[in-house]
Amino acid sequence: MSVARAKSLLFVLAGLWLGAAAAADLPPLTHGLTAVAPGQPAPALKLVDLDGKPHDLASLKGKVVVVNFWATWCPPCRREMPALERLRRALPEVVVLAVDVGEDADTVFAFTGTLEPAPEFPLLLDRDSAALQAWRVKGLPSTFVVGPDGSLAYRAVGGREFDHPEVVAQLRRLAGGKK
Amino acid sequence: MPPSSLPFAILLAALVPPAYGADSGHSVDPDTGAETWATRRHGVALSLTQILPDQGRAFYLNRGFPTEAAEVYATSCVFMAVLRNDAAPGMVSFRLADWTLVSAGAARPPRPVDDWQAEWRRRGLAEAAAIAFRWAQFPPEQEYEPGDWNQGMLSAGLPPGAAFDLTARWQVAGQSYEGRLTDVRCAR
Repeated sequence: MSVARAKSLLFVLAGLWLGAAAAADLPPLTHGLTAVAPGQPAPALKLVDLDGKPHDLASLKGKVVVVNFWATWCPPCRREMPALERLRRALPEVVVLAVDVGEDADTVFAFTGTLEPAPEFPLLLDRDSAALQAWRVKGLPSTFVVGPDGSLAYRAVGGREFDHPEVVAQLRRLAGGKK
Repeated sequence: MPPSSLPFAILLAALVPPAYGADSGHSVDPDTGAETWATRRHGVALSLTQILPDQGRAFYLNRGFPTEAAEVYATSCVFMAVLRNDAAPGMVSFRLADWTLVSAGAARPPRPVDDWQAEWRRRGLAEAAAIAFRWAQFPPEQEYEPGDWNQGMLSAGLPPGAAFDLTARWQVAGQSYEGRLTDVRCAR
């Protein structure tokens, strides 16, 4: 191991400690979703999950679907992941799909195993970032809500508290046919 | 996942303004020495926190960068930038190409992500590493509705220890706004 590498690892250890110490100072996750102008169909989304099982957004027409683009090294993405699972539990009629960008199944699996609650929604792999680009994502995390008619209903850029009552109410209304 | 991924992400999470929420100011992390400059103008919050060269090296080596490539980026005056629309009177839009860094009398924007990506192509960087790089960067352009925000890496493209003033520019409903961070210093 080079000297530079060893020094870097020392910083990682410092980072572990700092992560806890600085938790209260992290930029707050926000809440609330921005309505998207009507009539914008959601881009296609056909990806496999960690087990290699294919998922196609088109097959979910009639349901409200939350599509979250993320990566394990993205701090706000990591922070909002448990809230996505709590949202799924609060609104079982809403489908959550988390699309990891550029990483492999082992990397994603190892990370999600550390979460509480651990996500039980599909974790899809966008290894070449093609889906990310098709959805015109500009920064991580980015989240889209697809309405029952297959059009985009809401979007959110940056970390969110997805189980915040405001978000839950927005999605409940959408699932009930209102926006 | 490589065993080191979790620590690196936690390290990145720690690279945030310790005094987040202040209207403007400068602070120093007592543990790492990393400095933060922050301002809040017209309902928009902006901060830059130094990413120390060792931190940058560690992050990119663990994303599959060759040592030389990680070194080039880590020593290019990198910050963790956070920009958020907390209470602007509408959607905020910006392009980093419109921002100005003034250092030693010379003015120019931060080093564009496209420049870096071209350099990685020249160096034959693996696709996974290039993807991680692109999406770890602060967005070159973005639109933020109230509540929207991003946190990402921003390279000033200056040597370690250099100082600069940053003017960040954005628009809301066709009106231009700006915020300034002065005497920002690159980590050594």
